[in-house]
Amino acid sequence: MTTNAATGAVKRTEKSSSPWAIARRKFLRNKLAMASTVFLILVIILTLLAPFLAPHLSPIPDITKVNISKMSIPPNGDHLLGTDKSGRDVMTRLLYGGRISLLVGASATLIVVVLGTIVGSVAGFFGGAVDSLLMRFTDFVLNFPFLVFVIVLNTILFGIVDGLWVLILVIGLLSWGGVARIVRSKVLAEKENEYVLAAISIGTPPAKVIIKHLLPNVLSTIIVQATLLFASLIVAETGLSYLGFGVPQETPSWGNMLAFANEPDVLQGKPWIWMPPALIITATILSINFIGEGLKDALNPKSQR
Amino acid sequence: MLKYTLRRVLGMIPMLFLVSVVVFFLAKAMPGDSLSGEIDPTNTNPEYIAEMREKLGYNDPVYVQYYRWVTDFMSGDFGKSTRYKMPVADLIGEKLPNTIFLALTSLLITYVLAFAMGMYSGRKPYTLGDNLIAGFNYAGIAIPSFVAGVFAVYFFAFKLNWFPFAGSVDIEIDKGTIEYWMSRIHHVMLPAFVLGMFSTASYTQFLRNDLIENSRKDFVRTALAKGTPMGKIYNVHILRNSIIPLVTFLGFDIAALVGGAIITEKIFTYPGIGLLFLDSVNNRDYPTVMAITMMLSAMVLIGNLIADILYGIVDPRIRLG
Repeated sequence: MTTNAATGAVKRTEKSSSPWAIARRKFLRNKLAMASTVFLILVIILTLLAPFLAPHLSPIPDITKVNISKMSIPPNGDHLLGTDKSGRDVMTRLLYGGRISLLVGASATLIVVVLGTIVGSVAGFFGGAVDSLLMRFTDFVLNFPFLVFVIVLNTILFGIVDGLWVLILVIGLLSWGGVARIVRSKVLAEKENEYVLAAISIGTPPAKVIIKHLLPNVLSTIIVQATLLFASLIVAETGLSYLGFGVPQETPSWGNMLAFANEPDVLQGKPWIWMPPALIITATILSINFIGEGLKDALNPKSQR
Repeated sequence: MLKYTLRRVLGMIPMLFLVSVVVFFLAKAMPGDSLSGEIDPTNTNPEYIAEMREKLGYNDPVYVQYYRWVTDFMSGDFGKSTRYKMPVADLIGEKLPNTIFLALTSLLITYVLAFAMGMYSGRKPYTLGDNLIAGFNYAGIAIPSFVAGVFAVYFFAFKLNWFPFAGSVDIEIDKGTIEYWMSRIHHVMLPAFVLGMFSTASYTQFLRNDLIENSRKDFVRTALAKGTPMGKIYNVHILRNSIIPLVTFLGFDIAALVGGAIITEKIFTYPGIGLLFLDSVNNRDYPTVMAITMMLSAMVLIGNLIADILYGIVDPRIRLG
C-alpha cells in the first residue's frame, strides 16, 4: 500500500504520505471523532477493570446476590447510583454489564464481518453461477425479520447451549447480509483493474488474489462497516435483553438493566435504576457512530477535510 | 412495466417457499405441538400424546406434514392457540387492527414531519434551523428506539401527563363514538412517533440532500433565468424530482415497521401483534408464535416487493436490469 500511492505520482521533492497516514492525520484532526474515541476507550477500560474497581465503588460488590435490606436505595454516598430492586449496586452492575454488552457486540461483529467478507468477496470474484447462488442466499437471509427470528431461535436453543453464545451466534448468523452485499460490489469494481488480471494471468490461485490483492483495497470499506455494525449490534443485544430475550437474566448487561424500566413503578418513581444504562447505551452508540463517520471521512480520498 | 412486475412477483415465490420451509422446521424444532396446538400440553399421558400424534398426522413423512401445514395456512387456518384455546387466526384478527392503526399513524407522522423538516432544511441549508434539524436527525438515527421510547414514556406520560402510558384505548368509553376514536388517537400518538422516529430522521436527511443537489441542476438555472420565482421553482420544479425517491421507501418501511412494532408495543404495552408475539413466546404458546413469525416474514417479503415495484415505476432503467 505504501508504494502504491507513490508510483503514480510525478517526481516530488518530498516523499508523499501513504493513504493510511493521510487517513490517520484526517482522523486525528476530526474533533468529534477523537472525543468519541477517547470516550469509548474510557468506557472499555472501566468495564475491563470492573473486578478491581467494584470493591472501591460500593460496600456490596457482589452483582448477583439479592440484598433484601438494601432494595431500591436512591443514589447516596455509599451507592453512587443507588441500588436496584434486588438491592444490588447500580454502578457496579453498570461496569459488569458493559463487559457483556460490549463483548456480545464485538463478537457478533467479528462473526458478521468474517462471514460477510468471505461470502461477498467469493461472490464478487468468481461471478456467474457462484455469484447468483450466494447472492440469492444473501437475499434470503436479509429477508428474515431479524427480531422475530432471533427470538424464535433463542427459544429453541435455550437450554441446549450457553445463553450468551447462543445470542452472539444467532445475531451474527442473521446479520451478515449487508456486509456481503457491500463487499461484493466493491470487489466487483476492484477486480476490473489490470493488476488483478496480471495476477490471475501469472497463475496466482484465486484465494491468494482475493486475500493479497483484492481485500487490502476493500479493507477501508470493511473497517467503516464494522464500526457501524458494532454500534448496531450493541443495539441488537440491549434491545433483545430489554425485551427479555437476550442475555440470560441473571447476567447483568446494559439491556438487562434497562429491562427494569418495564415495571411502571421503576420507570415512574425510580429513575436511578434505568436511566444510567439508558444513558450509557445512548452515549456509547453515539460515540461509535461518530467514530464510524470520522473513519468514513478519513478513509475517503475524495473528502476535503 | 407489467412484465417487470410479474417477474418480481414470480421472483418472490421461491423466497416465500424457502422462508416457509425454515419456519416449518423451526416450528418442528420447538417443544410440543407448535403447528396445530391441538395436543393439550398439560396432559402428559404418553398414550394420549401418541394417539393425538397419530390423529394429527405427525407420524406422516415430513413433506406431507409440510404440505398440509402450508395449505392450511394459506386457507387461513393457523392452528389453535394453546393458551387461549381459540383459533390463532381469530386471535391475530383481534390484535391486527391495533397494529395496522399504529403503523399507519406512524407512517403519516413520518411523512408529514419529514416533508416539513426536509423542505425547510433543503431550502435553507447551513442555517440555524437546518443545524437544529440535523441534530434531531442524528439523534433519531443513532438513539435506539427502545431507549427513546422509555424516555418518552417517562417524560411525556409520567412527568408531563400529556399521553397515557399504556393500552390502546380507555376502557370505559363505548365503541364507535367520537370520544372512542379520540382516545385511540391519543393512545397511539406517542408510540407512533417513537416507531417512526428513525424513518423520519432518515427521510428528512434524504429530502434535504436531494433538494440541495437538485437546486444546483441546470433546469433550475434555466427556470431562474426565465424569471420564475424561487418559491415556485422549489415547490414545482425541484420538489417533483425529490419526492419520487421518497415514495419508494414505503416498501422498506413496511419491513421496518414489523420489527419496530414488537419493541414499541412492548414499551407502550400497546395490544397489537408485537405484544401478542412476545406474550406468546413467554407463555409457550408456540402455534401463535409460529403463525405470527410466518405472517411477519411474508410481510417483509411483500414490503420488499412493493419497494422493488415502486422503484421500477420511478426509475425505468431498473426495469431492464
